[in-house]
Amino acid sequence: MIVKTNIKEAADSLYSSKQRTLLALVGIVIGIGSVIAMVSIGRIVEEEAIGQFKNMGIDILTIRKDSAMGNEAGSRAGLQSPAVAIQLKDVLEMPAYCPGIGSVAPFVTQGGEMYYAGRKLEGDSLLGVTQSFWDMNKLTAKEGRLLSDLDEYSQFCVIGSSVYQKMMKAGGRHVIGEKLRIGDGIFTVVGALKEVPPRGMRQFEANDSVYSHITTALRIGSSAEISTITARVNPDVPHNAAQNQIREYFAKRTKTKNVKVTSPEEMIAQMEKQMQLFTLLLGAIGSISLIVGGVGVMNVMLVSVSERRKEIGIRRALGASRGDIKGQFLIESVILSLIGGALGILLGVGVSFIISFLAGWHFSMSYMAIILGVGVSSGVGIFFGLYPAIQASKLDPIVALRSE
Amino acid sequence: MLKLIDIEKKYKIGPTEVEVLRGVNLEVSQGELLSIMGQSGCGKSTLMNIIGLLDKPSSGSYFIEEKAVSYNNDDALSAIRNRRIGFVFQQYHLLPRLTAMDNVGIPLVYRGLGEDERRTLCMEFLKKVDMHERAHHKPGELSGGQQQRVAIARALVGKPAIILADEPTGALDRRVGLEIMNLFKKLNEEAGITVVIITHDPNIAKQCGRFVVMMDGVIVDG
Repeated sequence: MIVKTNIKEAADSLYSSKQRTLLALVGIVIGIGSVIAMVSIGRIVEEEAIGQFKNMGIDILTIRKDSAMGNEAGSRAGLQSPAVAIQLKDVLEMPAYCPGIGSVAPFVTQGGEMYYAGRKLEGDSLLGVTQSFWDMNKLTAKEGRLLSDLDEYSQFCVIGSSVYQKMMKAGGRHVIGEKLRIGDGIFTVVGALKEVPPRGMRQFEANDSVYSHITTALRIGSSAEISTITARVNPDVPHNAAQNQIREYFAKRTKTKNVKVTSPEEMIAQMEKQMQLFTLLLGAIGSISLIVGGVGVMNVMLVSVSERRKEIGIRRALGASRGDIKGQFLIESVILSLIGGALGILLGVGVSFIISFLAGWHFSMSYMAIILGVGVSSGVGIFFGLYPAIQASKLDPIVALRSE
Repeated sequence: MLKLIDIEKKYKIGPTEVEVLRGVNLEVSQGELLSIMGQSGCGKSTLMNIIGLLDKPSSGSYFIEEKAVSYNNDDALSAIRNRRIGFVFQQYHLLPRLTAMDNVGIPLVYRGLGEDERRTLCMEFLKKVDMHERAHHKPGELSGGQQQRVAIARALVGKPAIILADEPTGALDRRVGLEIMNLFKKLNEEAGITVVIITHDPNIAKQCGRFVVMMDGVIVDG
């Protein structure tokens, strides 16, 4: 009964000092709002990335040269000889020796400046690929055709969607058949790719790349070497079996010897770990603003206590115990924080909706965020309301009665 | 009903010790209308705070309804204030945010009574002080005399053993003060409520069944 009456009186008291209540609310709304926004954006990004990864296929292994290990014999002798680059021939022979592997798609990344119609295209890179690359990376043509293995050593190229846009901006009417200068070579555009979501699970920027056949790319760059191979595991083959086959193949039959083979499970786990860290970091930033909001609540409650010393004295004289007074002020600060929390949840969800809308992510509301918001705001109310409430309960009734 | 034996109260102000009460002995019987009179500074407010359990004496013993007051447990003191003592103050001390009805109900809140029960009791006691028609007015909308009536209803609502009134007419003009005094007398005579009035005004004191005079920290004329 006391609690019910206290809630009503706390609401009255907060309403009667609207200005102060509003100012305290601003702090707590921003605090809770940023925690909710940070956490839910973190989750949306995580789901987005994992979703993209799953879309790419969960049967794809990633193979890289293990440069850290180097040549085993060399390191035993105390010499760090650089690892031998992965050879294209070795890659193409992989399926023959590894029964668990269906297809392989190596690629080469090449720098080099690109020019179209005399203008430099900024931020784009050349990727050398094979025919299997498109399917493996879920890339399809919007115009023209894709490169096949019949394009070996050709000067044909396929362009990503943002390269397409840049060429249009540079004055092109159409792109098929247009010439691009990359480094010292002149390339003819034979196809353009459909746009894909950026920063996905692909090991390259799909939209910002110009693609040639891998043989051409390896030929024009002297330092070019195969950086990454993606390999599709045959159905019903356990990933670790396929991983072992690949390691064995490189160790026994090639000069590269050591490779690092990452399974999708490992990548998802790694990514989830990264995302958790990201979410945690964002949450920590939000928590700092929450502390600022909490201090605002404490400040308002301290003012409220000192303004209502007389009321405290009257209530004590009429039989309120210290606990009753403490409870009254605690309830007030918790109500204040909960109102702030409710508005903060709205703000946080709204902000994360807008951000995910602008970024083109799939918005999902997490109930965790709401539970978190309500929990954290009542926690803030109790934590930052406790000190003022204790101050109020410790007032000497005679002194409190005499104050104006 | 109340018994004070050798009550002393000393304050330390800096290095000097001030003795406000120097051995007060007082007994208040059931159904009495008693006034404690004295000039300001004689210690009557301190005495009233001690009787009302808002302050504790430096030495001496105090019995309420034959039970010795223990000052160790603050919650127990709050409970006695809540159930056995009704306060009436010179400045009424109503909470400006609450209506007359809700002000009267405050002591009942701390007894854990529900809202319906509180309303019934509040209305009953507002009727006794002839303020029931103004039950939903806030103190700012009431005159001084009306506010004091509401305050008296608040003191009565918990059916205490004793009403402690500190200069209850001090802020009111003569005519309204008389009305308030008549109300106290009526409550005392008709309902047998024990009332202790603290005042500096001999005219008020004379209206009470018994009055004692305080001077310099002791009761000189009982």
